This record gives sequence, C-alpha cells and structure tokens, in this order.
Amino acid sequence: MKRRLWQLFGPLVCAGVLVLGVLLAPLPLGRLSDSAVASAALSMSPNVLAGARAKNQALSRDYVPFFGSSELSRLDPFHPAVLAAKYHRSYRPFLVGAAGTQSLTHFLTDQSMLKQLRHKKAVFIVSMQWFTRRGQDPRAFDFFYSPLETVTWLLAAKNTVADRYAARRLLTMRAPSKDAQLHGALLTVAAGQPLGDTARQLLRTRLQMLKNEDELFSRFGVNAHEREVAAGEKLLPNQATNSQLDALAEQAGVTHTRSNQLGIDDTFYRTRLANGRMAKLAGSQKHFDYRFGPEYSDFQLLLSQFAKHDIDVQFIIPPINAKWAAYTGLSQAKYAQAVEKLKTQLKGQGFKRVLDLSQDGGQPYFMQDTIHIGWRGWVKVDKVVAPFLDGKRQPVHYMLNDHFFTKSWRQAVVGG
Amino acid sequence: MIDWQPYANPQYFVVLLAALVPLIIGLYHGRRLHIYETLASLLFIVMMFTGTKWHEGFALIGYVVFQVALVQGYARYRQTHNGTAVFVLAVLASIAPLAVVKLTPAIAVHPSILGFLGISYLTFKSVQCVMELRDGTIKRLPALSFLRFLLFMPTISSGPIDRYRRFEADYAQVPTQAAYVEMLGRALRYLFTGFVYKYLLGYVFGTLLLPQVAHAALVRGGLSWPLVGYMYTYSMYLFFDFAGYSLFAVAISLVMGIDTPMNFNRPFLAGNIKDFWNRWHMSLSFWFRDFVFMRVTFFIMKHKLIKNRIRVSQVAYLINFLVMGFWHGVTWYYIVYGLFHAGAIIINDLWLRYKKRHKAQLPHNRWTQALAIFITFNVVCFSFLIFSGFLDQLWFSPMHH
Repeated sequence: MKRRLWQLFGPLVCAGVLVLGVLLAPLPLGRLSDSAVASAALSMSPNVLAGARAKNQALSRDYVPFFGSSELSRLDPFHPAVLAAKYHRSYRPFLVGAAGTQSLTHFLTDQSMLKQLRHKKAVFIVSMQWFTRRGQDPRAFDFFYSPLETVTWLLAAKNTVADRYAARRLLTMRAPSKDAQLHGALLTVAAGQPLGDTARQLLRTRLQMLKNEDELFSRFGVNAHEREVAAGEKLLPNQATNSQLDALAEQAGVTHTRSNQLGIDDTFYRTRLANGRMAKLAGSQKHFDYRFGPEYSDFQLLLSQFAKHDIDVQFIIPPINAKWAAYTGLSQAKYAQAVEKLKTQLKGQGFKRVLDLSQDGGQPYFMQDTIHIGWRGWVKVDKVVAPFLDGKRQPVHYMLNDHFFTKSWRQAVVGG
Repeated sequence: MIDWQPYANPQYFVVLLAALVPLIIGLYHGRRLHIYETLASLLFIVMMFTGTKWHEGFALIGYVVFQVALVQGYARYRQTHNGTAVFVLAVLASIAPLAVVKLTPAIAVHPSILGFLGISYLTFKSVQCVMELRDGTIKRLPALSFLRFLLFMPTISSGPIDRYRRFEADYAQVPTQAAYVEMLGRALRYLFTGFVYKYLLGYVFGTLLLPQVAHAALVRGGLSWPLVGYMYTYSMYLFFDFAGYSLFAVAISLVMGIDTPMNFNRPFLAGNIKDFWNRWHMSLSFWFRDFVFMRVTFFIMKHKLIKNRIRVSQVAYLINFLVMGFWHGVTWYYIVYGLFHAGAIIINDLWLRYKKRHKAQLPHNRWTQALAIFITFNVVCFSFLIFSGFLDQLWFSPMHH
C-alpha cells in the first residue's frame, strides 16, 4: 500500500517541493545582457514597468528614468531615446510609462528604483490630461498594478501624511484591495499603525516570491521597439546642432501631416479621427477641466519620494495641440490655471527645473498629434534635457509641504 | 480573507483539503466519521453564504425545510396511496420555488428573495426523489439521508447531479483501503486536470481573450469576424470553466469516499448532437432524459396522443429542450438555445434514419467521421453563441461611445 501511495502522491510531493523552492529560494540574480536592458528600456511593457529586475539593472548602468505616459511611445527620430543613441550621449533614457500611467502608478513603479536613484537625476513628463476630477483611471491602474512594488513600499511605509494618504488611495483601487494580504496591510498603514512582526515576515516572504517571479518571467512579453529607434537614427545626420535638428524636425512634420489641417500625424488621423469621427468631436472637450481632483495629491506623493531621496528631477509640461484644443472647445483659461496650479506646487517646494511648454501648442509641428509631443517638441525638450543630464549634478533644496495632500489644495484655484 | 465560494481560488482548496484530513484518515482506515463529516460540510456551506450573501443563506434554509417537509410528506403518503393528482401536485410544489426564482427576473427588477446559489441543483435532486418514490424505486427515504443527499457539500452549488440510490449506496458502504487509495489517486488527477482547465485554459479564454473579441465584435456591430471569434472563444471558455469546476466537485466527492458521476466526456469529439448530449453536462442531460424525455414519451404513448413513433420522440425532444431552455432562464436566448438544440437533434434523428436506409450508398470512413465531428462542433459552438446572450447585447443594447 505504501508503494501505491508513493506512486500516486510522490509526483505531487516532488512538484510541491520544486515549486516552493523556485518561488522561495533566493535565486542567483543573473546579469541581463546589454541588449536585453536596452530592449526593456524602450519596451514600456507592463511587466517591465511592474517588475524590478530590468529597471534596477538599467539604473546600475548609464540609464536615466524618463517618467511619462503615452507621449513616450511617439518614437519619432527626435525622441529622447533616438537622440541619445544617435549622438552617443552619456545617458540612455529608460522609458517608464505608457498610455494610462499616472501619478499613482508611477508612485508605485518607482519604489524599487528609489534606492538607486538617490542623489541622481530623472526626467518627468507630466500630462495635464491626468488631472481630471476623477484622477487615476482605475482600470489603467489595475493594468499596470505591481504587487512587487506595493509590497516594497509597504515594508518601507511609515506613519506619515504621505504614506497614510498613499495607503488610502491604493485602497480605492481594485487590484490591491482584492489581495487579502495587501488589503490588510494597507488598512494598517492607512490607520497610521505599524505593521506587526508576523505581517512583515509574511510580506517579506511574499516579496521574495514576487522577486523570483520577476526574475523568471519578466523577460517574456517585452515589446520590441529597437527597430523604430534604429530607423529614426538613420534619418539623422551624424552631427547636428539643436537648431539644425529643429529644421529637420519641421521637415519631418511637414511630410507627415498632409492629410489634415490640424497638424496631426497622418497615421494617427487616419486610424483615430478620419471617416466622420472628427465631426462628433467638435466641441467635445468644452467641459474638460484639469484644475481639481485627487491627481494633485497623488502627484505630491511622487514629489515627496523625489525630495526624500535627493533626486534632481527635470519636469516637462507638454502643451496641447492648439488647433485641436480650439476645435474641441477646450478652455484655454482653465488649462492655463491648471498648469499654474501644478507649477505652484512644484516651485513652492523647491522643484525648480520645470520646462513649461504649455504655451507652445500653436507652434507648427511641435505636437505629433492631439496631445502628444513630437518632432519639434522633442527637439525643444532635448535642448533642456541633454545639458541637464550630461552636466554635473547640482545640489537641490526641497521643502516639502503636506498642505498638498489636503482637500483644500485639491479644490483650490490658482492664478487668474 | 479567503473567498468561500466553492473552488473559486487555490486557497479554498488548501483550506478545504485541510478540513477533510480527519475524514481521509478515517476512510483510509475503513471508517466514515459521520459527525465530523456533517459538521465540516455544514461549516463550508455556511461560509458560502456569509457576508453580502447572508440572505441567500436564509433562502437556503427555508428552501430545505420546505423540500424536506414536502418529500417526507409524499414519502409517507406513497406508502399507502398512489394518487396521480397528489403526485403531480408534489412535483409542482417541489419545482415551485425554482420556478419563482427563474420567472422573477423576467417580470421584476430585483432577483427573487427565494433564490440562492445552487437552487437548481437541489431542485433536480428533490424532484428526482419525488418521481422515484412514485415509481416505487425508492421505498424508504429517511429525512436524514435525504438531507445528506440534498446538501452534499462538494456538489451543492453546481452539480454534478447525483441520484439518490447511487449516492446512498456509496455512503452506506466504506470502500476498502485499496479501493479508497485508488479513489484518492483519481481525485488527484481530476484536481490537477481541473486546475489546468479552469485556472489556465478557462482564464486564457474567459479572462484574457473573451473581453477582447467581445469588444472588437461590439465595435464592428452586426455579423463580423470578431463575432465568429467570440463564438469559439466563448465555447472554449464555457467548456473549460465548467468542466474544470465539475472535475473539482467529483475530486472532492472522491476524497469524501463518494463516487459522484462525471459531467463531461470529451464533448467536442462528439460525432452528432445526440452523442454530444451523452458527453456534455452528462448528469444534467441524463436527468432530463430520465425525468423529462422518457416521461413525456411514455405519457404520449400511454394516452395514444400521437400514433407515429417518430413523431412521438420529436415532440418529446422539443418539450425536453424547451424545458431545459426555460430552466437556464426566462430570456429569449436561452429559449432559442433550447429550440435550436431540439431542432438539431430532430434533424439528426432524421438523418440517422435516412443513413440506415441508404447504408449501401453512403460512405463511412474516418474522413466522414472527422466531417461529422467538425459539423457537430460548429453547430454546438453556434448554439453556445446563442446561449451566451452576447447576441442580445449586440442587437438589442448596442454600445454607446
């Protein structure tokens, strides 16, 4: 009978031991090849963003994180990744973000990077389109949600206004609330209580499992964008000044926007706007308002992370295609107020590097489509970003203010 | 907090199997721990209906009290009498709660307060007992045995639908050690096959692919390739999800020393529709065969309502599948699904008869068999497209964007 039992259940026991071993043993962290890191840096794939391995290995080389959202995927020849590769800059952009990543997602995404980013630099492209009344789109949050980063944060969380606020915000999202273990820990942090020893130990075990998963599986499903970058590089001259690049960008813009009067890329126009869809969109953004909502406090979470880790960040506020804004009826006055509010939040706390492009939406070929920076826009970004990243690191003096976590700030109107 | 819905996630299995360990040890040593088994089963049933589902728990209690009283009452009556009117009343009364639950959504906004997860499957068992009492195949039906059968924990929410006499025989007799070890071996195999079905394949088809093809089909509207994609994706999802669930239920039954019948037998390899219903949701289709189709057929023949035997079975099929359609829910697509299968099986019958007459002329080889499987598969998938309710969404509540 023993023999029969072993025949039947032996394989189960062996499989169990193997699975636990693979999940819980600290696996030797192999070094990713340069090409694998380069690929991950351009991929903008959810599993790269939510993982830790590729990000950490990139930062230990010459990569600098470029936080942002959908504009990062506009890989035209003037995109920061293409320019950095073509002109052998001292840095390579690691693109952190995709359509749907907003402050709260970035707040989690950068948890595993913070240690390495200490005393270093980063670039952050902040879209005013994130700052809706509702803030972070819950479905997009779930799509990019990273248990690994959440556990990393929970183990470091303290009883501060920022951490309590972050816990409360995460509890409003579906994915972390569905996870019994994390849900409990989030409630504890939100209540300002320290996590118990058992809870911490369980979280550390969970973290080891998640790290091993990341080690084993994050190499799969990395979107390849190397070809787009290589194609872009081919179109650039071997040497060029910023104004020469600007002229080239203008030419590129002219050839790619023949189908419409709005200066929108032909492919984008054809697939998203043509065939009668434009008519429906006239005046469709009349009621859009970016001045209020949770995003302002979510963004403050990021600012406190950057300040606490002494990270020098170049912020970029991209414009909106002026013709598009006029067509859809977006209120320029409200938009300007939203930008003003964001800048107040940044500059008031010592974040002095803010490249405000919000008034450049009317410049020809500055935008690649409706709200996404492209061609000449990227060139203007490069004019500021390249010297910042190539130059020596300067000291920063941040003065955090918890007022930005309050409802009164989220509701506040700034500027005339 | 773990999710106490049956087989909803891996944690449930860990907790459930841990709770069953004393039972396993007992059965291994040739003893059935009746009291422990009852308490553990009740605990898991109670936990199913905690939280937001508490009112379903009360509905379940009310339902069980009603059915026990009804079936016990009929059993006592049947010992001395055998009136047809009483029998019909007993069956109708037994079905009544389910009928109310199924009809409520068609006429009211809120679901019926009588409803709870598993009401259909309990009703199948209860009605079966009434009918077999009438037949005389069940002679004694102690209240406790009936309750045990009705509330058998592994199958309470969605079957498979066991039969009282088979279940009771299993329960009364403890398997030998060698036999029980083999049962555990089968349980293990079913569990892991179930994991692959429900958590891997069911997830890929249902959670990853289905929303995408659904979205594409809704954006296109009308008849489109994505709609065809939806049809196959949904069919795969339906099979792997339900077959996975059924395997879990059978596996846990085996662990508890009960050989609950299987629900699926490679249904997509069926060579015709009749064969399909012998392979798909078998415990349900056999129940319908025994308690609807056969009864209708006998009734018609006994009262000579229809002379032509072929016509008799056609009418019986139609009634059988219409009842099945209504049982799924009172919506046009479930009813059309029932009619579609009735039509398919009637056509299939005609074809089989034609084939018999023309045996010499018709080829029969592995290619024709493959063709038969292919046609059956596509007919079935199309029926599942109707069943899914997606056409309702597509045609009658178009998306706004």
